[in-house]
Amino acid sequence: MRNMRKCYIRLSSLFLCAALLLTGCAAAEKKDEKNSIRIGVSLYRGDDTFINNIRGELEKCAKDYEQEMGVKVSMDIQDAKGSQNTQNNQVERFLSLGCDVLCINPVDRTAASVIIDKAMAAEIPVVFFNRQPVEEDMDRWDQLYYVEAAAKESAVLQGSIVVDRYRESPESLDQNGDGVVSYVLLEGESSHQDSLIRTEWSVQTLKDGGVPIEKITGGIANWERSQASALMEQWLEKYPGQIELIVCNNDDMALGAIDAMERAEISGISVVGIDGTTPGLEAVESGRLMGTVSCDKERYAGAIFHIAVSGALGREIPPEIELEEGKYYRCPQYIVIKNHQK
Amino acid sequence: MTGKENFFWIFYGLVLLGLFLLSSTDLIIKEEEAGIYPISVIVGDTTDDQYVNFRKGMERAAIELNGDVSFITLYEKGSARQQREMILREQEDGSQALIVDPVEEGMIAQIRQESRASIPLILINAKPGEAWELENAVSITFDYHGMGRRLGEEVLKEYGAQERVCLLEAESPNGADLLFLQGFCEAMEEEGGLVRTLSCGRGSGTEAFLEEVAQGGPEKAVLVAQDPEGLIWAAQLLAETKEAADLVEGLYGRGNTVSALNYLDKGIVQGLCVTDDFSAGYLSVKAAVELAQNRVVKDTGFLESGYIRREDLRDEKYEKMLYPIE
Repeated sequence: MRNMRKCYIRLSSLFLCAALLLTGCAAAEKKDEKNSIRIGVSLYRGDDTFINNIRGELEKCAKDYEQEMGVKVSMDIQDAKGSQNTQNNQVERFLSLGCDVLCINPVDRTAASVIIDKAMAAEIPVVFFNRQPVEEDMDRWDQLYYVEAAAKESAVLQGSIVVDRYRESPESLDQNGDGVVSYVLLEGESSHQDSLIRTEWSVQTLKDGGVPIEKITGGIANWERSQASALMEQWLEKYPGQIELIVCNNDDMALGAIDAMERAEISGISVVGIDGTTPGLEAVESGRLMGTVSCDKERYAGAIFHIAVSGALGREIPPEIELEEGKYYRCPQYIVIKNHQK
Repeated sequence: MTGKENFFWIFYGLVLLGLFLLSSTDLIIKEEEAGIYPISVIVGDTTDDQYVNFRKGMERAAIELNGDVSFITLYEKGSARQQREMILREQEDGSQALIVDPVEEGMIAQIRQESRASIPLILINAKPGEAWELENAVSITFDYHGMGRRLGEEVLKEYGAQERVCLLEAESPNGADLLFLQGFCEAMEEEGGLVRTLSCGRGSGTEAFLEEVAQGGPEKAVLVAQDPEGLIWAAQLLAETKEAADLVEGLYGRGNTVSALNYLDKGIVQGLCVTDDFSAGYLSVKAAVELAQNRVVKDTGFLESGYIRREDLRDEKYEKMLYPIE
């Protein structure tokens, strides 16, 4: 009787081991055989020019990868239209439709925890970009990544465009010759860490570079061309002949300021932007924008895409994508002035 | 406890149990499982620039009708071979319906015949007759021929039948472009209007293009673009080059993109044929889901289109059509 029981126990253990082994093998086989990837992308606002550029590059990356590797890539790109609630619903939909990985440009950086909770429950990696979730959230899981163009670097480079110009010809900036460059500042969203950092460091760089500056006024235009244009129109009326420099947190707002100047038929005010969007670069080329700071958008989108693909396939992230602390990728940036890239 | 009381408590317990089974389990009332329908949309372009409103309508319908829609563009614009490969790939990958903007006329029928698949198919921007010949297929389209005719009539009304009208042909025309051109030329010919087809296209460069436009004589030319991309190219040229603006009196064409509408608003484009793309997207996905459910799909006929000038942009009717709220 006792022997029989032992025999049963041994047999059951054997079956259990075999079952576990088979399940493991099947799972491994499943992972290796994966010949299609589904990526859910949610953008904070689809009409933002920089984000739109990144979206275009992402689609290009997906097509190139598909052709090169023969792996089908389905990319579902959604616009959250500035609503965190909409974005949360989009994430839920992505997960219910079986996305293998999520690429999220958060609407509200402090609300990323909701997305992270959902992704962690479904064990789906998330690549955040352009708006950094708070550090505590990023530290919650090792399958969370963040891709950005470092705000401080952009701001310092933007400041150095003005510093270089001032050193070359001070009178091109200080047009009234009073020894001070009077400037106005157009800022992005107040809740976005990049707008705070860009503002702080571009002004600091001007001071450090020895440019005598005086702030006339400043305003929040939420990264938008139309809002910047409206603000600038008011300032041009309120401070006639006083503004010599317009420092903008991004290219869209810089172009908005230029629109207002063109409407008022005012010229000679120097404008600097950040992002290197397609219309921004065109404006630099045509001489309407003094300069901008551009990140390599191909590289930026490439980093998002390849981190996402590695996450979806459960592979190591390619070594050419150098991650800081194993989760942060900072895209290199450069200055663009007319006929020049530094 | 009396027998009556016992009966009451047992009955009460059973009622509670019954209510629990009704509300919290699938044993009595089975919750209807919402099926998700994978649908693939395959267009003939490399980007979705011309499909912005179409996508909005498509996404709205996907949310309402449980569609799981993949929007697929080609690696190379207008490549029939790639579109064919994509159609076959999506069929194999388990799409329950396909929405296709065919690059070539008749190609879908050929694919169907070869693959012997009868997956539900929705043809967009194709000749209406093309879908009739196919099994399990419907067509969602606009009257491109009629739109071309209307544009021809408007141009004749504005400038008369003089030899000033220059046609900028599409680089790789699809079915819609061909029908549009056919309608336009018919309307012009009927009234004796002459159309000069420019041999220099977008690829020839600005100088060659302007030289050819100038050959028409001392009078300023009227440009008509066959396809939306051509219209944007010409509008950009007129906006940026003074020389071009001096040679051309009017620019006409078709298109719904924000940039086309902006050029109309700025007065660079004088007249535009527009379509209700949001409805086309919505109805395509709706038809795809219905066909996937083996339901009969009603023929939608031609969807709404129109001809607008700058002053019509703020018209409520066109505002809804051109700037749909998702």
